[in-house]
Amino acid sequence: MTAGLVAVLFVAVALVAVGAFIAVWKRDLTAALAGLPLMFGGAGVAFAGVSRFAAPGGPPALGQGVSALLAVAALALVALGVGIAGRGTSR
Amino acid sequence: MDSLHAIGFYVSAAISVGGGLAVAFLPGRGSRGVALGAVGVGIAGLYLSLNAGFTALVALVCYAGCALLIAAPQYRAVETVVAGAWRQAGAVAAGGLFVVLAYAAWRGKFAHPYFFYLGGVNSASVGRLLFAHDALAAEAVGVLILVALVGATAVWRVRDRGR
Repeated sequence: MTAGLVAVLFVAVALVAVGAFIAVWKRDLTAALAGLPLMFGGAGVAFAGVSRFAAPGGPPALGQGVSALLAVAALALVALGVGIAGRGTSR
Repeated sequence: MDSLHAIGFYVSAAISVGGGLAVAFLPGRGSRGVALGAVGVGIAGLYLSLNAGFTALVALVCYAGCALLIAAPQYRAVETVVAGAWRQAGAVAAGGLFVVLAYAAWRGKFAHPYFFYLGGVNSASVGRLLFAHDALAAEAVGVLILVALVGATAVWRVRDRGR
């Protein structure tokens, strides 16, 4: 059993599509925010996979760095969205 | 990738995608937070199987934070003004996005910066690839994001006027 770049990209695509589905399907906008980490995670997995498989001679740190940055950005966006939602309804 | 890493990869993929579907369909903020935590564990496992241990740690901490924010008592529900038909159309569009991206991942011929620019894979070569070789695609993605942001702002304004 093995996994290559195409398998990694398939998983990344599935995560992005499920995240997009959550973002459009949820009636509650704050719950729809939960789709953002999935989409960002899918992009991060794609970056990490490309740096793992497509650059055997190069430094893999670029894709991994972008993946970590995307995870932090997802946390920041969810915090911002939950904060705005709480501020908007507490008036 | 050896068999052990491959098994870990597929198990983590199942956990992350299954957790995402649970986030989509489970009711209640608590259960959605737990499902988002499972997504974080799955994505961290994916990074680990791709030899990205530090990124896995960062992702685990960040997704735990996202799960806590979604499940926290400070959570306030904001009902959308978008009708059910538009939400269903959006769900179908998400399925179409999956099909298109999966086809691109399966059949795509990936450009390798080493062969195009005779250098290593670094930020400069990726930047040249995005803004020179694939400039039109990068601009199309930028326009798509701009349209999405303007649409979200318009929906928000309509909701505020309806109060």
